[in-house]
Amino acid sequence: MIRIVTLERLDPTDLAFLTGTLYRAFGVGTEHAGDRHLPADAEGKDGRVDAIRLLKDAPPVRSLPDDKVLYITSAPLSLPKGPLGEPPCWGFAEFGGERAVISTSRLPARGVTEASIETWRKRLAREAIHALGHTWDLHHCYDARCAMHPSWSQGLAERPEMELCTFCREKSERKIRLAKT
Amino acid sequence: MKPGDRVVYPNQGVYRVVGVVEMDIGGKRQSFVRMQSEENPAATVSVPREKVPAIGLRRVATGEQMEGVFHYLAAQFDDPELDWKVRHRDNADRLIAGGVLGVAEVVKGLHSLSRIRPLPTKEREQYDNARHLLVHEIAVSLGVPAVLAEDYVDYALMPPAGVKFDLKPPPTPVLLPSRPKKRRPVAEDEDDLGLSDLGIDIDLAGALEGAAALPEGDLPAAEGEEGEAATPGAEAPAAEAGGDEADEGEGDDAAARPAKAAAKTQPKAAKAAPKEKAPAKAAKPAAKKPEKKAEKKPAPKKATKPAAKPAAKRGGKKK
Repeated sequence: MIRIVTLERLDPTDLAFLTGTLYRAFGVGTEHAGDRHLPADAEGKDGRVDAIRLLKDAPPVRSLPDDKVLYITSAPLSLPKGPLGEPPCWGFAEFGGERAVISTSRLPARGVTEASIETWRKRLAREAIHALGHTWDLHHCYDARCAMHPSWSQGLAERPEMELCTFCREKSERKIRLAKT
Repeated sequence: MKPGDRVVYPNQGVYRVVGVVEMDIGGKRQSFVRMQSEENPAATVSVPREKVPAIGLRRVATGEQMEGVFHYLAAQFDDPELDWKVRHRDNADRLIAGGVLGVAEVVKGLHSLSRIRPLPTKEREQYDNARHLLVHEIAVSLGVPAVLAEDYVDYALMPPAGVKFDLKPPPTPVLLPSRPKKRRPVAEDEDDLGLSDLGIDIDLAGALEGAAALPEGDLPAAEGEEGEAATPGAEAPAAEAGGDEADEGEGDDAAARPAKAAAKTQPKAAKAAPKEKAPAKAAKPAAKKPEKKAEKKPAPKKATKPAAKPAAKRGGKKK
């Protein structure tokens, strides 16, 4: 089961859209597990939140083995610098882990028109699928139409799809089928 | 190898050496290196100590080597290998014997190819495996979570818009041991092409036809000449080829060719049979028309000639 935890309040219609999309993507029950507060000392000096630390210190949620917990925050996330620089962070999750976190800070602005709200929701769902995909051992995908394609890629469409490609979908289904519960 | 060392088992991933144990295998006492998988601690592997180099076990790449890998990943890539057989074989070799840079080569090569066209299933799996191996080795080497290591890899492979790296020259890839080349089994095809190009095919058929028709003695002189001309023509290339090749001293192949050529004439003769039918059919209307005309006019000699050939042949077969 996927449990969504919001670290800031989210519109109920947006949440309903997200739960429905996650259910369709992974075939696993999805529910909103409530609101929590961002850990007090999570924010760094630059105003961003260290994604790895946030994932460790995130407030716990009651869950069963093989459940996945998705945290949603509006705070910008940061990652440690790599050999070629710091990759932009839209979300973070460990391979085979239990928790994932995504940030809405890099999403296109959620306007007032239906079109802009729709675009925002779809992008949020895509990032959620991407982060949760990592928890089912999915790697990044080269297919720009797949939700597992890196979010910063230049090949990504302006309004990217919120679905997995066949390969990633089958791989995630195998992992979910093998889960103990 | 000491306990606690981290090694890379080719095509499997990163393992931690647990210790060296002595075991009796088939009445022989051997020492084994016992290793535990970093990814799945429940999985342990014991490798005979003397087989460690043959298996290709190597130490996890250092920070410097990893930097080279990232510069290689971010560098401009040459054209990917388009022959899938060569590519798949080379990639399999690289994953086993190419070290961390070999794994990076596979990832980069297949990634570049995926930009041209979607990868077939086998290569998609190979790409995913290579990515998995690379990501986990980077994660262990740099001491970061595997997902972050993958972000670093893709940041190098697919940089965001406006990002340019100050790249150093990438390290030279490890040269793979060359495989023995297979012998070309296309000698027959070569013969085939050569003969058909020269038009000998038609002559051979004609020769056979001529040979079959000669004893009958009913043929007109022109056809007999054709048959006579064709018969030595058919033998000559085979004899010449045999003679030339024998002179060149090519050995078994040279001796085998005349035999092959002889064997080939039979199927060609069989092929020639339907060919004969076609002109016969074509000749029928040609022959009938002059007959009809002949009722009105006396038939011209030329028109009756083509009809005579199939008729004579049929008669010969019946006999």
